[in-house]
Amino acid sequence: MSDGDISISNLEKVYDDGAEKTKAIEDLSFDIDSGEFVGVVGPSGCGKSSLLYLIAGFLETTDGTISVDGEPIDGPGTDRGVVFQDYALFPWRTVMENVTYGLEEQGVSKEERRSTAQRYIDMMDLGGFEDRYPKELSGGMKQRVAIARTLAYDPKILLMDEPFGALDQPLRESLQDQLLDIWRDLEKTVVFITHDVEEAVYLSERVMIMTRRPGTKKTVVPFDLDRSLDREEIITSDKFVTTKNSVWKSLREETQPEVQP
Amino acid sequence: MDVTYARDDVVTFTKSIYSLIIFLVLWEAVAQMGLVYYYYLPPLSDVLARFVELTLSGEIPYHSYLTLRRALVGLVIGTVFGILVGILIARNAVAEWFFDPIIKIGYPIPIIALVPVFMLWFGIGDQSKIIMVAIGTFWPIAVNARNSAQRIDKNYIRSARMMGTSDRRLLWRVVFPAASPGIVTGLQIALPLSLIITFVFEMVAGGGGLGALEIEGVRTFDPTQVYATIIAIMLIGIALDRALRLLRNHYLRWV
Repeated sequence: MSDGDISISNLEKVYDDGAEKTKAIEDLSFDIDSGEFVGVVGPSGCGKSSLLYLIAGFLETTDGTISVDGEPIDGPGTDRGVVFQDYALFPWRTVMENVTYGLEEQGVSKEERRSTAQRYIDMMDLGGFEDRYPKELSGGMKQRVAIARTLAYDPKILLMDEPFGALDQPLRESLQDQLLDIWRDLEKTVVFITHDVEEAVYLSERVMIMTRRPGTKKTVVPFDLDRSLDREEIITSDKFVTTKNSVWKSLREETQPEVQP
Repeated sequence: MDVTYARDDVVTFTKSIYSLIIFLVLWEAVAQMGLVYYYYLPPLSDVLARFVELTLSGEIPYHSYLTLRRALVGLVIGTVFGILVGILIARNAVAEWFFDPIIKIGYPIPIIALVPVFMLWFGIGDQSKIIMVAIGTFWPIAVNARNSAQRIDKNYIRSARMMGTSDRRLLWRVVFPAASPGIVTGLQIALPLSLIITFVFEMVAGGGGLGALEIEGVRTFDPTQVYATIIAIMLIGIALDRALRLLRNHYLRWV
């Protein structure tokens, strides 16, 4: 059964502001299995955010197709959920009201909305903060609310745009582990954009490295490891270090200017 | 302890309005000593007595009602249209092309200058006054609604669409709440404006209301009525401003 797989073929994205055409993505083909965790890294401006927004349906493809479960996507839809770096919580809604938003849009009854939302609020350790407004929360808590809000309407695919980029290291690590738990328990497909190589390798089953602009798939580095290990065991393992170095090396080739002989 | 607190409160309150108290005492003194002609400035005590008299006789309540009704009905109409047009400009290119120049020209026009024109067109009755208040308050509301709707975080809209909000519902679900702080700012400008317009129109065109009551005081050589009416409109202005602040603090506590 396919549920939440993504198929990208010959994708091209050109931005045209009238005066100038900028090719952001060129001939990118990539398949993501349902339930897979894929990290995407690339030099800045390589079009990795464009790729995410194309999958989200915020942007229209210039050429090529993106399909979810075999159906070409047509704009944003509730089969996918996006988590932004700047959280994008609705400031006029409390934590509870933010998390119930998607369920309200689906016409779910009030009691069911609250009980579903409460489950995800508890899952993200936000119990006791249900009636707070976003302005009263720290960055890490805001991002946990944003994740709970996305999970609550049960999309098959999570699209994450550098979600932990604005958080400090200890907070990032705890949110990374929380995300891994959720991914395992809820069996979501995750596409995770980041510029942090270690984060990408730690989280992902496969890391796609993109070339510099116009961005396309450069290589895909698989990283299968025993997820029963804890963080310290993983990041000190030879396998992790080797994988991290190969991703880093591949990425460096794209960020360094070509050396003239 | 409570007593101390109460005294502290009185002290603080007195401090905050001591300049006002000095002013009022000076007023009373200057007028009582006969330093100014009674017709220019009657003593404060006479004005207050007249204020109580006009209140008890029902005149101030009745004329306040007329003024308030005109101002608030006009304000509601101006606010509704101001919000609609302001948000439309921010969200729709055609509406922006059409309305934006009109707003740029219309906003700075001192609307009071058009009172005679409104008298020609709509007469001197309630209708004429309400239309003028509606038009006068439309501008600040529209401009503020437009500005705040234009500045909405793009990711709010993206999130909402992702969660299944249709383009049409987006206005009500995201754009309006996100723009509401700006709209309330517009309302804080429009509210005193609605009173000013009504008051001036009543002075010029009559038809009752506090503006007319004040002018009647001039025409009947009764300066105490002039000042008593000023006190009434001041109190109304302060009360409405306070009410709006309370509403703002309650509904926009998330800002």
